[in-house]
Amino acid sequence: MARRARYKPGVRVFITGIGVISSIGLGKDEFFRGLAAGKSGISPVESFDVKNLGREYAGEVKAFHSRDHLRASEVRRMGRCSQMALAASRMAIEDAGLAADVLRGPRVSVVLGTTMGEADVLEDLDHAWMKRGPSGVRRAWIPKYGSTLLPIHVARAIGAEGSVLTLPAACAAGNYAIGLAADLIRAGKADVVVTGAAEMLQELQYSGFVRLAAMAPAKCQPFDLNRQGLILGEGAGIVVLESEAHAARRNATLHAEVGGHGMTCDGYHITRPHPDAAGSIEAMRQAIERSGIRTEDVDFVNAHGTGTRHNDAAESKVMREIFGNRRVPISSMKSMLGHCMGAASALEAIGCVMTLQRGIYPPTIGYETPDPECDVDVVANVAREGKHDIVLNNSLAFGGYNSVTCLARPFTLPEPKPISRHAA
Amino acid sequence: MTPRAITGLGIASALGTGAETFFEAMREPIRLSQRPPAPIASFDATKYGAAPVVEVPGFDPTKYLGDKGLRVLDRLTKLLVVAARLCLHDAGLKRDGAWAQGSPESVGVCCSNAYGSLEAITELDRVAKLEDARYINPAKFPNTVSNSASGYVSIWEELRALNVSVSDGNCGGLDAIACADIFLATGRAESILTGGGEAMSEALFLAFKKLDALRPPPSPAPGSGAGSPWTEHRPVHARDTRLGEGAAFFALETREHARARGARVLGEVAGYGTSFIAPASDATLIFASREAIARAVTQALADAGIAPGDVDVVASSLSGLAPFDGEELAALDAAVGTHVPIAAPKLLVGETLGAGGAMGVATALAWLGDGIRPAPLVRGVAPARVDTVLVTAVGYYGNASAVVIRRAQPA
Repeated sequence: MARRARYKPGVRVFITGIGVISSIGLGKDEFFRGLAAGKSGISPVESFDVKNLGREYAGEVKAFHSRDHLRASEVRRMGRCSQMALAASRMAIEDAGLAADVLRGPRVSVVLGTTMGEADVLEDLDHAWMKRGPSGVRRAWIPKYGSTLLPIHVARAIGAEGSVLTLPAACAAGNYAIGLAADLIRAGKADVVVTGAAEMLQELQYSGFVRLAAMAPAKCQPFDLNRQGLILGEGAGIVVLESEAHAARRNATLHAEVGGHGMTCDGYHITRPHPDAAGSIEAMRQAIERSGIRTEDVDFVNAHGTGTRHNDAAESKVMREIFGNRRVPISSMKSMLGHCMGAASALEAIGCVMTLQRGIYPPTIGYETPDPECDVDVVANVAREGKHDIVLNNSLAFGGYNSVTCLARPFTLPEPKPISRHAA
Repeated sequence: MTPRAITGLGIASALGTGAETFFEAMREPIRLSQRPPAPIASFDATKYGAAPVVEVPGFDPTKYLGDKGLRVLDRLTKLLVVAARLCLHDAGLKRDGAWAQGSPESVGVCCSNAYGSLEAITELDRVAKLEDARYINPAKFPNTVSNSASGYVSIWEELRALNVSVSDGNCGGLDAIACADIFLATGRAESILTGGGEAMSEALFLAFKKLDALRPPPSPAPGSGAGSPWTEHRPVHARDTRLGEGAAFFALETREHARARGARVLGEVAGYGTSFIAPASDATLIFASREAIARAVTQALADAGIAPGDVDVVASSLSGLAPFDGEELAALDAAVGTHVPIAAPKLLVGETLGAGGAMGVATALAWLGDGIRPAPLVRGVAPARVDTVLVTAVGYYGNASAVVIRRAQPA
């Protein structure tokens, strides 16, 4: 009989493997080098015709070729988003040194985030329908559509038989997935969780952001006085999470510890953040409280930092509310990667691991003119060295979904304790 | 798991809108196949001849939401917001639109959906491709994002504790419970609207039509020697399922919190299980695994601390798709035994995909009520009294989940 699991907040959870598909590098090492060097992944879009859209740039992953990472039979049954997710998952598993027999079975789960999932599959189906009517729709393509499929393909590849779940949480998806994955382990429902998020660049989404007047013409300049909006990106960021006991049994390398995470919802507007930023403030506060730390213990904040007027001003207000007069270094990797939507907070969580391991805060490139409304300590243009024990990874998403994850050097966080704002 | 109290239900389904309407319909449930066909409202079905789908009959969101602010919302959003509003009122958390118990910071949302708003995506795609991308309505663009419907639930009802969307195909409605349980265990909210929704659209209908999932399987030829459908694991009655739509939320709380605020408890979630088994062939996508279903059921029973013999009836996932139904029946035989009655709620509400698990839970809650006997049964005889219901969800890709719903236990 399976044991009846109970949630144990005292269980420490670690990142033991990392995989990356990004516009500035494939694989953890290349990604970390790119972040440290302030490399820009923004380039003219090639995967669809942007001629009439009024914008032409994105953080497109041009170096990813699915057959380099996947079998032909896998590629045939997957859309691009799943392909990137699986490729990054394989990298993460290899990085973790996890043997195939350890990954097989009901104690291994897969939890992935995304915004749109297999958007290219739906686009192909819909365009065939438009051009040739219902009879023009290829039946074999239909089952390839669905956000549900992202973790299914990963689970198939590794033999996971536990929870296989997608959290389509827009720009907060990565943090949501990592947070839930850590909780699954603390709840005793899994020993290993392959988690993170993936997103692909797609024409309808691109057009939509142009129409929302949210997209900058060429550069994403978070916190800059003259910032003109976001630039979209794509990619996959996958990490392997394990409980302390499981990692210890196999002598795994611990990249970082996953602390507490904060989760709120503005419930205000479907695109704009709440002007008071109460939800975002509460999410950061929760991440700090649930990690058992104080605000003064936070060394660096990875900003949501989309480069829009609203977000960056609101986020700066949040920083002041949380940290008061203390100027905590903050940076936005979206200046380099673009806004990778569902994959953003997963890729950026991995960027935070770089900070924790190497003591380098990645820069906000393209920062030219300070904005008095964004009076924060931006790591401007060039990476900076600094204290690197505990960091926060912000995602303050479209639709008012706020999620903040605390990541730390292993065993830097105090012994985890139960938090109960409400009766549990 | 620590049992969780269900204190309210909001639902829009093929049986109508509202918990009262739903429970009343469950007293003398009429199968979809026996109801007169209703005109399809969500798309122009005339060009297809027969469109064997079922919608929420006469769905009128203005009745529950007023007539302002609905213009840019898609059908999925309207279904979910209506279900959420009804749930909050049924649970006593709101009264006449205002907070009666609880607060925005104490109530969250955990919402399943399988395929997103195909209506919104295909509509804007047509504008972009057939006209020009410059004519995309920016107010409608957010509807193309998978979790915007759930986001609107928080906006309309001021639910700020958390909002988590779950996508796991047909299993999502039950998986949302597992997530909500963790959020309650970690003190993130006092009440969580848990459930899911799926909306009818021409794209959804066309997809299932092209996959031949709408056509009932042929009857056995005379003299073919086909024996009892159970021997062959071919549930004759579930053939009459239709592709459907709907939304259902139930308010999930700790027992202590429900007791403290004097809430009426409709039932309890006592156990949850999930499993995934991959198909043997690399090329296969659509797949059901009796082993995964059996494991999910066994796990749910163990999580609830009960034995197979304690299950009074199964609110199954039987949907009329023979391969899936065959695997589920085989799994149930193995995991709960051949004596447990099996009902098929989808014969009443249709196949509602991401909402399916929530519909199954709603059905279980109905059977816990006085004088409502489980129906329609596809095997066995309805027990006189139901205390424990096993709810199953079978996915299309090898995934399966199960939940145990039981009568509220005394304090």
